[in-house]
Amino acid sequence: MAAAVGPSSHEPADYVERLRRLKSMLLLRSFEAALLRQPKPGFQLLSRGEEAVAVGICAALQRIDPLLCSGRSIAAALARGMAAGPLLAELIGKDGGPNRGRAGRAHLSMPSIGFFGAHGVVGGNLSVAAGVAFAQQQLATGAVACCLFGDGACGAGALHETLNIASLWRLPLVLICSNNGYSVSTPVHQGLAPPRLTDLAAPFGIPAACIDGADVDAVAALTAQFVARTRAGLGPCFLELQCARLASHSNLTREQRGSVELDRLLERDPLLLYQRQLRGEGILDDELWAQMRGEVDAEITAAERFAETAPWPEAEQALLDA
Amino acid sequence: MPRVFFREALSRAIAEEMEREPRLFLLGQDIAGHGGSYAETRGLFERFGPARVRNTPVAEAMTVGFAAGAAAAGLRAMAFITYLDFLMLGLDALVNYAAKLRFKSAGQLTAPMVVKATAGAKGQGPTHAQCIESWLMNVAGLTVLAPSTAGDAYGLLKSALRAPGPVVFIDHKKLFPYGGIVPEQEELIPIGTAAVRRVGRHLTLVAHSYMSVLALEAATQLAVSGIEAEVIDLRSLWPIDWDSLTISARHTGHLLVVEEGQVVCGVGAELAFGLRERVPELRVARLGARRMPVAASPALEAYAIPDVQAIVCAAQALLTRR
Repeated sequence: MAAAVGPSSHEPADYVERLRRLKSMLLLRSFEAALLRQPKPGFQLLSRGEEAVAVGICAALQRIDPLLCSGRSIAAALARGMAAGPLLAELIGKDGGPNRGRAGRAHLSMPSIGFFGAHGVVGGNLSVAAGVAFAQQQLATGAVACCLFGDGACGAGALHETLNIASLWRLPLVLICSNNGYSVSTPVHQGLAPPRLTDLAAPFGIPAACIDGADVDAVAALTAQFVARTRAGLGPCFLELQCARLASHSNLTREQRGSVELDRLLERDPLLLYQRQLRGEGILDDELWAQMRGEVDAEITAAERFAETAPWPEAEQALLDA
Repeated sequence: MPRVFFREALSRAIAEEMEREPRLFLLGQDIAGHGGSYAETRGLFERFGPARVRNTPVAEAMTVGFAAGAAAAGLRAMAFITYLDFLMLGLDALVNYAAKLRFKSAGQLTAPMVVKATAGAKGQGPTHAQCIESWLMNVAGLTVLAPSTAGDAYGLLKSALRAPGPVVFIDHKKLFPYGGIVPEQEELIPIGTAAVRRVGRHLTLVAHSYMSVLALEAATQLAVSGIEAEVIDLRSLWPIDWDSLTISARHTGHLLVVEEGQVVCGVGAELAFGLRERVPELRVARLGARRMPVAASPALEAYAIPDVQAIVCAAQALLTRR
């Protein structure tokens, strides 16, 4: 599985950090549920089942590291620290969000918190991320650009072109593929000839690894190791995180998978697995879990109130940036 | 004032702007040691070094996306696309990312970048010849420039390299052999200003890029038969200098728009309609390429694209039409 990627100074997470990760995943899950409860939720790509990917990656990034992602952006934005209220307002098209209702989930951005932005065109952010990484290199910021994309983007020429230039110019770029097994309805093996996604990085001499994307601690540890390597000037790297998409492609897309498959995927629910794990290790108990749920519920309720009272965007204001 | 070749005007403008702005870098095919396909970057690699003058692989989509990402993250980029036809490969990054960036990020991000590409038919066949300026004019957020003289190329490129958002700077294969006057002292030409090349009272001839050269020749021929054409060189296709055009159209009452691109949804269609809205009694005609690909054969290329004689005939027809 994991290829050798050099030394890492990463320490195992302590229980405070691990409880934070659990709470962060719970927030992501609850937030998306609240989004679907909106009277007009819009067109959303949800991350249910992929929470450990977003939370694990963000646990490994520094604040200065620009994160770019695909249109499946809600979990990544929340995990990066975007406040739930403004995010919910943005997603339903209100003016209280970071992009004043213009971006929605497909183009969400908030560079001030290290969330450089989503891009709704599959694969569209890959070469942009290479340019963002190049700017870090030229300006000697010490930051590492990180681009999160889906397995669907691996069939696009954009990935080949990006891997090539990133390797040639030794860019501080960490490419992370969240492989949820399907591009809308098409299984990975029907859309990609190479048996493993990490094979795509090999011809470019880019170190790559593949791990279980439902294990938040493993994702955080491996990402930290790769990020450290890249930050040290050793060039780009490629991670494949295998996970399960528990919802359909979007809230408006027909689910083509049968109930047998969907039930089996529930066994890979990262929130459930982590909760079980922390209970087993004696870190989590019923009381703590109830407290955590209460705090998350309060945050969601406040976010819903924020989004409800946020104004609709003014067209005149929007035109100023057109 | 010194006479310089069109390509020299470009390299001087770039060199001055690179001196002024250390964050400006260049990327494109064959621009480093080779000095550009038309020698328009000659000497820049030697002067500014490999960190700022970078050869790219044949990957236009990546090149444009990379430039946009780098620009959004704090650099200033100038990307060279050998032929305007090949910009089609980079349109996703240009149109979906760079042009919309300020709008979709609500002003948090911008992409200060110039994409320079060479248009025009000169014996190289269907995909090394097209003039797709009007496609680009259709994109909100893009500035489109297409000068016809060395002096304008110099002054406009300098403005483009200081512009806040993405600019497409289009030159033309047939303009490179031309010499022109470039001011000794640094001088900028504001974006959005047309130039009156010849004063006349019977009709207004509007063109851009190489067609401005032909329009001036046509005006000389028309003068022999007593027709005085006012020739306006657009220089900036977006934004359009409606004020200068309206003054001339009101004065002559007749408008002939000439372009090397196809007339369907072309530059001329936009100008004719826009000027009729401003000058309702205006009589308009347009001339452009036939609706067919540009062929490799010189005979077919000449058939497809307007020449001086075609402009003269169209002008006479417009003035005699009742």
